[in-house]
Amino acid sequence: MFLEVDHVDKVFPLANGGRYIALENIDLQIKQGEFVSLIGHSGCGKSTLLNMIAGLDLPSKGGVVLEGRQIAAPGPDKMVVFQNYSLLPWLTVRENIALAVNEVYRDKPASERREIIEHHIDLVNLRPAAKKRPAQLSGGMKQRVAIARALSIRPKLLLLDEPFGALDALTRGGLQEQLMHICEESKVTAVMVTHDVDEALLLSDRVVMLTNGPASHIGQILTVDLPRPRQRMQVVKHPDYYPMRAEIIEFLNQQKRAKKRQAELQSSTSVMVSQLPKTTLNIGFMPLTDCAPLAIAQEKGFFAKHGLTVNLQKASSWDDIASGVADRRFDAAQMVAAMPLAMTIGMGGQPSVPTSTSLVLSRNGNAITLSKELYERGAQSLNELKSVIAMDKDRRYRIGIVHDCSMHNLMLRYWLASGNIDPDQEVDLVILPPQAMVDQLRKGQIDGFCVGEPWGSQAVVEGIGFVVATDLEIWAGNPEKVLGAREDWQQQNPEAMLALVKALLEACEFCDEPRHRVEVAEILSRPNYLGVPLAALTPSLTGPYIRSTNDPGQMLPRFHQFHLDNSNCPRRVEGLWILSQLARWNITPFPNNWIEVLDRVRRVDIFLEASRQLGQVGIEPDRDAFQLFDGLVFDPDRPLEYLRQQAISRDYPVQEIDLDRADRKLARTR
Amino acid sequence: MTATIPKPKSLPLKPSQLGKLVGTILPPLVALLVLLTLWQIVCPEGSIGLPGPIQVWKETFDPYIINPFFDKGLTNKGLGWQVLASLQRVMAGFSLAAVVGVSVGILVGSNKLIFKAIDPIFQVLRTVPPLAWLPLSQVIFRSNEPSAIFVIFITAVWPILINTIVGVQQIPQDYINVKRVLRLSKTTYVTKILLPAALPYIFTGLRIGIGLSWLAIVAAEMIIGGVGIGFFIFDSYTNSLMSQIIIGLVYVGLVGFALDRMVGFVASKVVAQEPK
Repeated sequence: MFLEVDHVDKVFPLANGGRYIALENIDLQIKQGEFVSLIGHSGCGKSTLLNMIAGLDLPSKGGVVLEGRQIAAPGPDKMVVFQNYSLLPWLTVRENIALAVNEVYRDKPASERREIIEHHIDLVNLRPAAKKRPAQLSGGMKQRVAIARALSIRPKLLLLDEPFGALDALTRGGLQEQLMHICEESKVTAVMVTHDVDEALLLSDRVVMLTNGPASHIGQILTVDLPRPRQRMQVVKHPDYYPMRAEIIEFLNQQKRAKKRQAELQSSTSVMVSQLPKTTLNIGFMPLTDCAPLAIAQEKGFFAKHGLTVNLQKASSWDDIASGVADRRFDAAQMVAAMPLAMTIGMGGQPSVPTSTSLVLSRNGNAITLSKELYERGAQSLNELKSVIAMDKDRRYRIGIVHDCSMHNLMLRYWLASGNIDPDQEVDLVILPPQAMVDQLRKGQIDGFCVGEPWGSQAVVEGIGFVVATDLEIWAGNPEKVLGAREDWQQQNPEAMLALVKALLEACEFCDEPRHRVEVAEILSRPNYLGVPLAALTPSLTGPYIRSTNDPGQMLPRFHQFHLDNSNCPRRVEGLWILSQLARWNITPFPNNWIEVLDRVRRVDIFLEASRQLGQVGIEPDRDAFQLFDGLVFDPDRPLEYLRQQAISRDYPVQEIDLDRADRKLARTR
Repeated sequence: MTATIPKPKSLPLKPSQLGKLVGTILPPLVALLVLLTLWQIVCPEGSIGLPGPIQVWKETFDPYIINPFFDKGLTNKGLGWQVLASLQRVMAGFSLAAVVGVSVGILVGSNKLIFKAIDPIFQVLRTVPPLAWLPLSQVIFRSNEPSAIFVIFITAVWPILINTIVGVQQIPQDYINVKRVLRLSKTTYVTKILLPAALPYIFTGLRIGIGLSWLAIVAAEMIIGGVGIGFFIFDSYTNSLMSQIIIGLVYVGLVGFALDRMVGFVASKVVAQEPK
């Protein structure tokens, strides 16, 4: 890779001893000869990023690597065209260019240097002004001098900081074309900061959109596939031009709203934050094996260590959890991964309850269990299940799920659909509380279920079902349970929220330790948690995991993943995948302002702050494309394309979700 | 279509320029006249104490006004000689101050640590009045002439030094970025960026410095004696020659004004126009 911005953070110390995180986890690769634009609102740190690439500023974390060497200082190989030209006013046009050429080509003979200087004066058509000083030039001419000065020393990398920002539209247009031709001819790699959407589209191969600061990150990367050489007038006629333009504008609008909201929030924070820090919390949970972090935080004193007194309240169903958080019965709760997003957007026609999550409590942990009857009929794999269903035209098989926006539902549907079984047309999915699953299976009310442990193992132990697939085979490392809380609660109790996340992070770390697993199983088997025999808990927690009566078992150490591999980060990319699936089955509309929604619902910043305070290595993994077991690639820059590629799906609306209107509506009802 | 308009015959001085000149010179002249008249009314001829302007004119017309370059030996010389002697001292002290002030200023201004270490000392020293240095310098140099020059130097050096430091520190980040990106050598940086950028500040310092040194020399000469405009005034005072004192003061003022304007003129020629 030619230029690599490798997980860069930029943190500025503040006068009051605090720190301002300008950029967070910026990861970007740029190929040789590529033209990349950085776009975002002012204060999003795009110039800071450019300065770090130039070497004028150094990252606080991570590094910038140019051709395999880390950039530690500025130099003429990374020439910058500054926003305010930065010409020396006491030198003429020629002298300004000569200053660069003479310094960089010190070893070349004078005649050759003169040639280079004159060539570049001609390149930007400044021959008649060569003897003039900057004060006598127009803004456009000054910028041409700056570009000529930059190009004259043949940089490997050309960095442009809003180069045409101060120019009038006509001059800007002419200069953009000139710059484009020069870049195409000399095959220079360029990074440009801009806030002009058309400029970005005309010049760039890729447009990198940065979210607002603080902790600005890459929101989306748009690949501009317009043919080159480009011409201003032709480019706008290209059928892809306006859709791409709309995409960037939509992004900028989202960010503008977010910025406004942040400003409003900041001005009202002092009023909103509770006078007395809240230390007694009611937290809802569902009795499942993966409520372990909550149970452990309580029993092993992690809550107490962080100054919290917690009442863990057992909920009867996931709906109970959702309504409990919505009507403030619970301050926070263990939730299924999609629930905060779905509650925020408003699931199933219900009003929106802005809810956010700053911690993933567990990954994996689910299994698809089918009845013994299906096993005997040969449905021992996805394909076999398909043929059994196809044979039995008259019978509708019933499969239990726990909630519409649980990962069980999304994963089961994904699994069925990739086996060409339409989860709405060819089977019936019925919602049941997890505790009821085994009972219903035994009674023959359902033919299978997808649910968290221990119920799959329980069915196997009882000999009434078998495990046909686990999370590990569908999407290893999928987010499963998260910590959810109302957004307004979190804003009012920032300290309690952070303490809660820290306590649970430590509990998660504890749970992932193999030597603690026996103790974890013992605690969970107590009546105030699951109240099931230890034997039902151990297969998934300590192994061996047994899929059917005859199965000798298999060690699956990651069947529950509580902490390893950055498990606890509420990754935004995963949130986007969840949004795509919620839309696919028309559980919620797809928000075309998904970046804004994800930034508000998945609070990576709180997770990172908690990790930092605990001294843990917390990072948000790269926003790379990934795939599930069927190999269909999910590109976080093109979620709608992913949706289009999925053969079985419902009709789903794509619309803008106005989170603030939801806020207001809520405020009225309060 | 553009029609060529016949140019009007160019005059040696265009009417507009003439008007401007009259506009700038006339008001101060009138003010001066009013002042002199008032003075004359307050101090009519024959009154005791301060002489009126007409009396001053009469008493000093010969030789001080018509013949500035008479020489009757020792310190009895025309005011031209007296002023020249003072100017010589100023030039020596001031040149020294300019060289030291600018070079030390660049050094201190471009190094944060040195600046932090030395700036408080400068701030204390610069408040010491020029004449307070005189006893010390006389002890050190044991001779009038070098100690007078030293007083000029020590007076003029602070504004030059401090302004140069500020000038160097105020170099816009943009120019420093250019230096860093192009990896300019030290000499290129100093000649092409640092000096031109700090020049306006340096000249402000020089202008203040020359004014102060002129103030200092007049005071210093009063004490150390010898040929010089300061001693001329002091000598006239000891002989109770009021009119001579007044004519001496007029000379001091005019020369000081001329010095200031001279440095200002040089600055306007050397300092690059700031882009706006």
